Amino acid sequence: MSAAMQNFAARPEAAEGPVVAVRDLRAWYRLRLFGVDREVKAVDGITFEVRRDEIYGLAGESSSGKSTLVKTIAGAIKPPLEIVDGEIKFSFMPGTKGLSRAPPEIAARVRWRHLSYVMQGSMSVLNPVRRVGASFVDFAARHMGLDKAGFEAAVIAHLARVNLPGSVLMAYPHELSGGMRQRVAIALATICRPDFVIADEPTTALDVVVQKDVLGMFRSIQREMGSSVLFVTHDMGVHAHLTDRLGIMYAGRLVEEARTPDLFARPRHPYTRHLIHSLPSIGDDKPRIGLEGSPPSLASPPSGCRFHPRCAFAAERCRVEVPPMESVGPDHRVACFEKDRVEVTP
Amino acid sequence: MIGALLELDRVSMTYTRGGLLSRTRVEAVIDVSFRLEAAKPEIFSIIGESGSGKSTLARIVLALQAPTQGAVRFKGKDLAQMRGDVERHAFMAAVQPVFQNPFEVFNPLKRLDRYLYATCKRFAGAQGETAVQAAADTALRQVGLSLAEVRGRYPHELSGGQLQRVAIARALASGPSLLIADEPVSMVDASLRASIVNLFRKLRDELGLSIVYITHDLATAYSISDRIIIMQKGRVVESGAARTVLANPQHPYSKTLKDAVLEPLAPGARPLFAR
Repeated sequence: MSAAMQNFAARPEAAEGPVVAVRDLRAWYRLRLFGVDREVKAVDGITFEVRRDEIYGLAGESSSGKSTLVKTIAGAIKPPLEIVDGEIKFSFMPGTKGLSRAPPEIAARVRWRHLSYVMQGSMSVLNPVRRVGASFVDFAARHMGLDKAGFEAAVIAHLARVNLPGSVLMAYPHELSGGMRQRVAIALATICRPDFVIADEPTTALDVVVQKDVLGMFRSIQREMGSSVLFVTHDMGVHAHLTDRLGIMYAGRLVEEARTPDLFARPRHPYTRHLIHSLPSIGDDKPRIGLEGSPPSLASPPSGCRFHPRCAFAAERCRVEVPPMESVGPDHRVACFEKDRVEVTP
Repeated sequence: MIGALLELDRVSMTYTRGGLLSRTRVEAVIDVSFRLEAAKPEIFSIIGESGSGKSTLARIVLALQAPTQGAVRFKGKDLAQMRGDVERHAFMAAVQPVFQNPFEVFNPLKRLDRYLYATCKRFAGAQGETAVQAAADTALRQVGLSLAEVRGRYPHELSGGQLQRVAIARALASGPSLLIADEPVSMVDASLRASIVNLFRKLRDELGLSIVYITHDLATAYSISDRIIIMQKGRVVESGAARTVLANPQHPYSKTLKDAVLEPLAPGARPLFAR
């Protein structure tokens, strides 16, 4: 084993800076059929970082490229998806550019030990014909370096953190309720105490009451382990209560990013404003206005600012030029030419 | 009895599961009664978590399933007494469903306009190409689309919100007096939810349509419902005017549900799951 590889296995306690830094990332679906090129620019020039010990939220509607971004970061890249440009840097993989470009043996060591993934459908994570305990062995045993009895004890102790009894290890996935399965998926993703957890719509399929429990658990585990989390959901209510910083995606680009309370208090991008203002709430009888038009096709996105066809503030310049991401306050970045007008409009 | 559009009279539904030796009974709906007036179109919400029996109730009202006890009457007629194609056909024209997932209800290989044409021909009595197309266009215009936008399109070419509108337009094509909407916005993006919910309100006010809105989303239920019932494990635990019930729920389960709704915070309020 080379020295570099041993380095990856050890926990980089002293490492400073963000856990993940994504710079100018472009990931496109490219199809070449009969000489016709078709490109779907699902992630088109995204720059952001997830810091140590924080939950970074990512919001946006379906087909805004959230899931492609997450897949690219997790290194789950299969043709026709490819990274066209940009780079992803992990603090736990110094000197390499992202999982997909790392040698397979290094990627295998890093996956689940340093980076894990909670997906939307917990049913599709857990093998339906194997007991839950077997899934824990498959995912985590080789990273933990414990004997059989020690491993089982560690798993049971970890399951207690998500309020599950040790007996679920003997159950098949279909015997558990949706909330329990999602808790098993969270336990699976956190058992190796990874530095970085990606959660893609982990509670969207759950009921409101169960969702509240699962989110609470998510935060307490994150707090205890000091992991960093990239939390993807389109539910702004969840973001308001859970995330520390929040990025808003629209049509493959990040349009605004700020600390969550600041973003809700002073949104500067018209799309963010719309997302926040369209939420109905109990006790508030103001009529809500839906957004006109439909999300743009990423195969032929609008020119200039991609939001301009649906934007009430759109000016001539928005149709032609792409607004750059600019800092407008501490930790607050926005990509909009009309951001000052947006802010003062009630 | 005169004046009721839909009346449920002590409806229960019990499913039996298993064989001779290990038979278990699941009581999905227990003793539910409510009544919608024909003269007063309203949006009536049924709220509850998964397994509370709300979808079973929808299937019963749509006459896809007969209740094990109690009676369902539509315009004074007991659904259990419905006999023959003609009566069934008339009932289907008058009570139409809208389902949860617009991506699943449409066959991906079939053009969307075909669904509208078929419904217009069978239920609206439109004969001939021009009449069918005009009827389809009228239905689409009621939901803010037009035939020109939908003609020849396949489901994957439209967004979730647009597809759900097409599904609603299809339901409207038969000229129904009652719409059963089972979780119609839970698969639709948050930014498009408001427009679907506003559409329901418009249909009630302009077409005089009654809508049974089934959901677990208390916030949208609050914003559009006239009356609501809250169900837990098959039973109605609380019912009444939507504003009154949701502003000040009495039953412990209703309170749990309301507390679980994650809403954007008031400035300065502390998030539930703060660091």
